[in-house]
Amino acid sequence: MKRGFVVLQVLALLLSPLGPVFAQSQTLDKIKESGVLTIGTRTGSPPFAYINKNNEWVGFSIDLVELLVIPSISKEVGKPIKLTKKESTPPTRIPLLNSNSVDLIAGTMTDTPERRQSVDFSLTFFLTGAQFLVKKGSPIHGINDIAGKRIATQQGSTNAKIIREKVPNAQLREFPDQPAAFQALLQGQVDAYTNDGIQLYGLKAKAPNPTDWEVVGDFFSEEPYGMAMRKGDAKFKQTVDAGLKQGFESGKYFEIYDKWFGPKGELPYPMSPQVKAYLLKQIGK
Amino acid sequence: MSYQFKWSVLWSGQSGYWLLQGLITTLELSALAWLLAVALGILSGALRTVPFRPLRAAATFYVEFFRNVPLLVWMFFWYFGVPPLLPRGVQDWLFDHGAEFWAGMFALGVYHGARMSEVIRSGIQSIPRTQFEASVAMGLSVWQAYRLVILPIALRLIVPPITNESLNLLKNSSVALTISVAELTFQTRQIETYTARAIEALTAGTLIYLVLCVSIAWVMSSLERRYAIPGLIARVGGAG
Repeated sequence: MKRGFVVLQVLALLLSPLGPVFAQSQTLDKIKESGVLTIGTRTGSPPFAYINKNNEWVGFSIDLVELLVIPSISKEVGKPIKLTKKESTPPTRIPLLNSNSVDLIAGTMTDTPERRQSVDFSLTFFLTGAQFLVKKGSPIHGINDIAGKRIATQQGSTNAKIIREKVPNAQLREFPDQPAAFQALLQGQVDAYTNDGIQLYGLKAKAPNPTDWEVVGDFFSEEPYGMAMRKGDAKFKQTVDAGLKQGFESGKYFEIYDKWFGPKGELPYPMSPQVKAYLLKQIGK
Repeated sequence: MSYQFKWSVLWSGQSGYWLLQGLITTLELSALAWLLAVALGILSGALRTVPFRPLRAAATFYVEFFRNVPLLVWMFFWYFGVPPLLPRGVQDWLFDHGAEFWAGMFALGVYHGARMSEVIRSGIQSIPRTQFEASVAMGLSVWQAYRLVILPIALRLIVPPITNESLNLLKNSSVALTISVAELTFQTRQIETYTARAIEALTAGTLIYLVLCVSIAWVMSSLERRYAIPGLIARVGGAG
């Protein structure tokens, strides 16, 4: 009897590395228990996630979570789930996930191989690339014109890294958030601000005189946005992906896209056929 | 799901170089800001005790205005608020030549100067009034009394609180990353960007700050002992 118990314990010990494979998802358990999904998202990145004029925290990424991911999680855990939002920024988002402060990052996070070593990513929900925002008439038309120029970037973003590698003599000024970087561009501290094209369009639309600014240059990087979650929770990732997949298949995703980026949306940005093909390819279409 | 540490990110790639660059920038920024803060602190701290009301009022205004606004606001003030007051050509020259660093230096120095001023004032006011009267009675002018008697004693008395303030200044230099000064904290974030290893990078930064602060505290306490006036203070603290 006693020996049998020891054998069982040893077996359990040997099998414990396999534990997570069989076990229920810790994240889903946590959500089931609390009835709440906590996401980390942005406050100043229109139209993905921002505080609007009516002081509401809204955006495309938040809608995707609310209308596609939450229903999928509710179905999985068998009860209605509420959404809680917390602010996350590029330097804080991975630590927020790893400390269990949030369960999902849904903002403007680019899926990169380095980040995949620390977190898991959902299906790509948006595809953009880095460009430059400059004053109209600026001599900067793309990445080939920035040698020696003062270029603002957002700290912790992939764009700064690419510029450092491709144009090492550009003078980089890295700001922790978008408003400070944009202010520096407005005042002439920098000659251009680089970020993902879509975010630059968003900033331009919000600027005091949108026509004074233009977004220039070909994409000098490819930035697929994904939702990030703690590494190794396959069940939770499946559930999140199922929600997005359902959205792509039913067309609900494209309705939400239209709400924010359509002709009457917050920021008109028609989806190119290439981008659409890229998104649908993920679900085998 | 527990976190897997990977310390090698700190010495692989460019991490080591970045940390060193960050450390140098932090030291430069803090050292210059400290000199400015001490100069402003001694000046305004002394002015707050002189027997002449307009000077006292000006010094009081400086202290209350600068210490009661958050440092972050001062960073933005010196970086975004001051340059537009200058001619366009000067602005461009500044922006090409490290305006961030100088804005950060002024923000840090002027803010901590206001705080040091209070430390120095309390040092001066802890000296018995009779000592000042005695100096004047010996024929010294007010300026001479301050320079030869009051300040040399006050500066010795305030070494412990000045150490405190200096350590705060060093650590507060990290706020300069908000205006894109590539100091130590900035560089630890840079490592995080490249490696997605936040905890390792932050730990490295923390250890460097800790070593810096402990060294400064040690230097200051040796200074305190070296320059102590025998017999002035009953017991020299056992620090160090």
